[in-house]
Amino acid sequence: MITGLLLGLCTGFIMHRSDYCLAGMFRDLFLFRSVLKLRTLLLLVICSMVLFETARQLGLLPLYPFPLFGSPSLANVIGGFLFGVGMVLAGGCVVGTLYKMGAGSVPSAVAFIGLLAGSALYAEIHPWWSAVIAQTTFQKGKVTIPQLFNSDPLPLVLLTAVAGGIYFLRVYRKGGWVRPLYTEGALQPWKAAILLAIIGLLSAIVIGMPVGITTAYAKMGGYLESFLFPGHFQQLAYFKALPLNYCHPLTGVPLVGGPGPNMDAIAVIQLPLIGGIIVGGACSALLLREFRIYVKIPLRQYLSAIIGGMIMGLASRMAPACNIWHLFGGLPILATQSLLFLVGLLPGAWLGSIILSQVIIRAEAS
Amino acid sequence: MTATVPRTIELDIRGQICPSTLLVALREMNNNIDELNSGCARLFIKTDNRDCINTIPEAAGNMGFQVDVCKTEAAYTILIFK
Repeated sequence: MITGLLLGLCTGFIMHRSDYCLAGMFRDLFLFRSVLKLRTLLLLVICSMVLFETARQLGLLPLYPFPLFGSPSLANVIGGFLFGVGMVLAGGCVVGTLYKMGAGSVPSAVAFIGLLAGSALYAEIHPWWSAVIAQTTFQKGKVTIPQLFNSDPLPLVLLTAVAGGIYFLRVYRKGGWVRPLYTEGALQPWKAAILLAIIGLLSAIVIGMPVGITTAYAKMGGYLESFLFPGHFQQLAYFKALPLNYCHPLTGVPLVGGPGPNMDAIAVIQLPLIGGIIVGGACSALLLREFRIYVKIPLRQYLSAIIGGMIMGLASRMAPACNIWHLFGGLPILATQSLLFLVGLLPGAWLGSIILSQVIIRAEAS
Repeated sequence: MTATVPRTIELDIRGQICPSTLLVALREMNNNIDELNSGCARLFIKTDNRDCINTIPEAAGNMGFQVDVCKTEAAYTILIFK
């Protein structure tokens, strides 16, 4: 629990200082044709890949591939697509929303409420969606690309790492890593990428899984719903499932949990992480004396935030899981689910960018 | 540069998050591009969104403007001028 809190604190702090906004990375690619930030995500993925593989070779990752990763299905692409639309409209992904909210952003707080609502809403379509997943799942029992080819991950990881390394070196020669930063206490995004990769590794070793937080969103959403509509809540099968069920071999701690509003392993792992990211963002802003709250914001931006949050919350259950889980945790182990998530995420972010630029520009043009 | 004091166009986007911040700033620049280019006007932006404090100067620089970024008690200010 303390581990989660500490990892969350560091994550929130680092992300706030470096504006390591994943929604922004994909959005700017389409909106401004800028790969500056997306490049640092690639750095993070390759670093994590090397770190995870090294840890695996050293026997530190007995639960490889990580728990909760399953066989790929069409749901990953569709979930990724909706997630892409949602995160761009919300102005931040599931983690970005947290650190920005912590730093005093009102639109992000609104997006957070949307996230909870969207996550709870998923329970309504869960039976139907499970059937869709079941029907479109392929390569049953194969979680990663190397497994698909019945090979060890090492050759593919090495190949990707070398290719990535060559690209990174070329970027470095052109001076493409450092950007002028005007904000006080700013952290270059490439440094943030490396730090976040290390945080991901720590999480994988200590908790047994990479960083993930969205099941806890469903949990919080479910908790609220059980208060507001207790009768209806009782009928929702989704909140009774326990998808997480394993024993961490290194610590011997059994971890069982699900989206239901109980204090189970999901709560113990993810809630401190969420709290940590919010407080981490707040600490960073307070230390810079930049913590301020403004509510006078165009109504359309509030609407965009709440709708984006809801779509993103819903999508994070459909995918399943969020961009952090898939991009920071899944891609580095070449999980097929995560690759499909990315395939969906790109057009989703593109569509979100178009909607957003239309809405914002038109709203202000009067 | 004429001797007259340039008009200052103020833009307060505090509280707004990205990318609205950058989009609004870009629109403001484009709407007043002639005045800004001739040096008759300057754009003065107040913001607290860290992301756009780095992206607005970059975008303005690409458009050939000079940029001054200051941190004040209330917010960051970005001055865009020729």
